[in-house]
Amino acid sequence: MKSEIVVLLSLLQLLVFPILPGQAAEVHLSVAASMSDAIKELDAAFAADHPGVTMLPNFGSSGSLAKQVAQGAAADLFISAHPKWMSYLEKEGRIAPQTVRDLARNTLVFVGPPKVSVNSLNDLEVMERIALGSPQSVPAGQYAEQAMRAAGVYAGLAAAKKLVMAKDVRQALLYADRGEVDGAFVYRTDALLAQKAVVLYAVPDKLHDPISYPLALTVEGEKNSAARAFYEFLASPAAMKILEKYGFGVPAAATGAQGRGRPRN
Amino acid sequence: MLDLSPQDMQAIWLSARVATAATLISVPFGFVVAYFLVFVRLPGKALVEGMVNLPLVLPPVVIGYLLLLLFGQSGVLGPLLQSFGIRIIFTLKGAVIASAVVGFPLLVRSIRTGMEDIDERYLQASRTLGARWWDTLLTIIAPLSGRAVLAGMTLMFARSLGEFGATIILAGNIPGVTQTIPLAIYEYTNTPGGDGMALSLCLVSIVISFVVLLANESVSRKFRQRTTR
Repeated sequence: MKSEIVVLLSLLQLLVFPILPGQAAEVHLSVAASMSDAIKELDAAFAADHPGVTMLPNFGSSGSLAKQVAQGAAADLFISAHPKWMSYLEKEGRIAPQTVRDLARNTLVFVGPPKVSVNSLNDLEVMERIALGSPQSVPAGQYAEQAMRAAGVYAGLAAAKKLVMAKDVRQALLYADRGEVDGAFVYRTDALLAQKAVVLYAVPDKLHDPISYPLALTVEGEKNSAARAFYEFLASPAAMKILEKYGFGVPAAATGAQGRGRPRN
Repeated sequence: MLDLSPQDMQAIWLSARVATAATLISVPFGFVVAYFLVFVRLPGKALVEGMVNLPLVLPPVVIGYLLLLLFGQSGVLGPLLQSFGIRIIFTLKGAVIASAVVGFPLLVRSIRTGMEDIDERYLQASRTLGARWWDTLLTIIAPLSGRAVLAGMTLMFARSLGEFGATIILAGNIPGVTQTIPLAIYEYTNTPGGDGMALSLCLVSIVISFVVLLANESVSRKFRQRTTR
């Protein structure tokens, strides 16, 4: 009996023993949920040229990701869908400030089951349930709230308890796709991935701040050569092509043109 | 010290409403199921027992998702209920159903234990005196399992106060409608700078649970005094 206990305990110890660090270089990415698919393809393209590098993406709403990084979560690169969360992490001292740059642009749309027609944000008042990312931590929700306030409908909808808070923009899209809500505020890039929901209304740009995706290396990422290589790769024409394929607009600086980069419909 | 916004007060009030409604609605069903499992001899009882205990071992998120499949737009019961004008997804009803399903096994277990504790001799005596099954049920089984029913209700109420996974999937996070305390805390933990608010709500949650437990203890004690005279 005693020998069996010894064997069992030593087996348990082996399980609990921390896994030895791998030989391959690892790059931890904290990426806004709306860029999940684009980043997965970018990861694959980068890994094809750099064998031995393991990409570890973590997708979520930019606000919750920023909070995780501030609390010490492993991250070499941070891509936010709203400049506010990048500034937050800069203030927390987690970001290498000279590496902050604009990665992409996007536009806000209102999607839903093709039952009603929406010609302005005021048409939302007759709906029963509208999904948006929680404005406290989801950029898509922040832009949506801004637009609704500019149109004067936010206070009324909130008071009537018609707003369903999603934990990120993809969850809002899911609600609309499943038909559980009358519509949801998502990015055009997410609308392209919807299965049943269609774009009911394109939110005019002037109603909210320009949607830009700041990208930066974190303090740890700056010391990680693989992370730095991926950061450079994201500025390459190949990466831009992948982003455009998913519907993202390129930042003005990258096009070199005078106008702002906007996704072509 | 406690900095509660109006939205937080709404969350607290909602939590209390959902937990109370879920518990009260489940008590008659729980009593019937417990009675069936203890006193009725039918084949297939093991199946019922398994189904009743399932929410206890399933991850609440799975329960929420299964309920969503059942009551959703493309679900089994969803379109049928909609034709009657009843909506479950993203409503208070959804939150109550999620809490009720998750807490039901706890209620049944508690009542079962109480019923199994009833002295066989009372039941045999009632049978020899010619009492019908419903007479025995109302005059012997119900009063003697009262304490167990109460204990089960308390357990279920406390569980409902803390229900998160099934609620957020079935009822969503709608401030004022389905945002209970756990959902509000979750939203705050996702927000940079929301730690103070999250802690305030945690404190409220602890205090409420403590009060519920103390109430259960005192009422149980009163019951004990009454039955051991």
